[in-house]
Amino acid sequence: MKRQKLIKLIFLLIILSGTFACSRKHNNPSSNKIAVVISTLNNPWFVVLAESAAQKAKDLGYEAQIFDSQNDPAKEAEHFDNIVAMGYSAILFNPTDADGSVLNVKRAKTAGIPTFCMDREINSQDAATTQLLSDNFTGCVKLGQYFVKQMNKKGNYVEIFGLVGDNNTWNRSGGFHSVVDEFPELKMVARQSADFDRNKAMDVMETIMQAQPEIDAVFCGNDAMAMGAYQAVLAAGKADKIKVFGFDGADDAIQGIADGKIAATVMQFPVLMAQTSAVLADEYIKGKRDFDTKTPVEVILVTPENVNKYLPKK
Amino acid sequence: MNKTIKYIVGIVVLILVLYFSFDIQKLDAYKAAHSQVQFDASEFAQNFWETQLPECINDAPEINAVTKQMELNPEIVFQNHAHKLGISKTHYLFVKGSGTIESVEDEFLLVRTGENTNIQIATDFIFGNAVRDGSGKVDINKFVNMTDFNNVSVALNKLAKEKVVSRLQKSAKAGMTIEFAGAAEINEKNSDVTTLRIIPVNAKLSDE
Repeated sequence: MKRQKLIKLIFLLIILSGTFACSRKHNNPSSNKIAVVISTLNNPWFVVLAESAAQKAKDLGYEAQIFDSQNDPAKEAEHFDNIVAMGYSAILFNPTDADGSVLNVKRAKTAGIPTFCMDREINSQDAATTQLLSDNFTGCVKLGQYFVKQMNKKGNYVEIFGLVGDNNTWNRSGGFHSVVDEFPELKMVARQSADFDRNKAMDVMETIMQAQPEIDAVFCGNDAMAMGAYQAVLAAGKADKIKVFGFDGADDAIQGIADGKIAATVMQFPVLMAQTSAVLADEYIKGKRDFDTKTPVEVILVTPENVNKYLPKK
Repeated sequence: MNKTIKYIVGIVVLILVLYFSFDIQKLDAYKAAHSQVQFDASEFAQNFWETQLPECINDAPEINAVTKQMELNPEIVFQNHAHKLGISKTHYLFVKGSGTIESVEDEFLLVRTGENTNIQIATDFIFGNAVRDGSGKVDINKFVNMTDFNNVSVALNKLAKEKVVSRLQKSAKAGMTIEFAGAAEINEKNSDVTTLRIIPVNAKLSDE
């Protein structure tokens, strides 16, 4: 009987010590490391976002490591598993999917690791510590108004949008349509996704132009796709007829506006978002807990009228 | 015999346990019952219009006081009357006042509100966040995502068009007096208010 009690006691102690160890590991990530998890490094815009975040974290005295999710939610989940296991202090996060990424952020939160979303949103009010997001919708409302005026309120246009699972895709599209759909003589003759990818956008535009000979403009959900669409338009000899609109403020698109290739884009500020996220993570690590759930970052409409202010430095 | 009864009782108990262990429902019905309530931006905007807008109009500064203060020190206007969202240089505010319609343009009414003050009351391109953010009463932290938050602006602008702008488009003529309240945006980098553009949320023409 005594032996049984002893075994029971040892068993109980093992469970209790295990629980204690787990809770200590989860609630107090004690390392000096910040993880930067990026949806894809296949797009220069996100490379800038990742490197700016990592550099700022280093400047603030942390080790920083960049994880590339390659637009694959499964890969992103793997990264989060590793980050939790390795006890990082904070995650600067650019998600692959507004809904699919919520669980990863919640897992990190349970492990005591705060997540700071950059540029892309997750559909949760309480999973991330805060979310710094470009005000995509408002940017595309401005772009939409400029588009309507450039088109004299009539004509046929194409929309090429980004990743279906990304809220930015729909905020941009929604902002644009909240304006353009008010003008009945502006007709959208085709609409297709090109996953924010330049080569895919070129293929999509080529295919659409074969089916729709009368196109006056194309609105693209980012500048990479705008440049791809422009290549297709140029190859078809329609560069003078079809106006190309983008979003992001990428160097080649800004130069494209100055050269008369692109009609307009919307300038985002990835460096500002990345650096601010790193600063907020540092504040959290040092004890601050009161953060707004979302912080929109203003974007600016860039057209031939103001492009000189935004030309890339040579 | 006893064994058979035991088996039967055992099987019955097992069936009962299994039966009460799970529930079968249609997937659509389950999803509908457990999904979050869909946000209705139109309903939110209508409620805002009826319950909060009167207070915004009541508290709005007078247009000529704002334009005068903007010339002296824009920072005071930004601090006392305007709101901005996140990291931004654009401020939104409500204003009210009265004046004479100088001319009816394609996209606005040009209204003289003071000796040297002309403002534009928008009658086309009713877009943006001036009404939502100028009120200072719509909290972004209460929204699950930016889409819902942005749809509030769309719905408020739609109400402004339906309830105010369409009437101005039909009835406004040069020479009429207009009493108005509305929302405007001012950028820190370009705080020139000589062409301040106001989205009207309330307007009364002299012959109404």
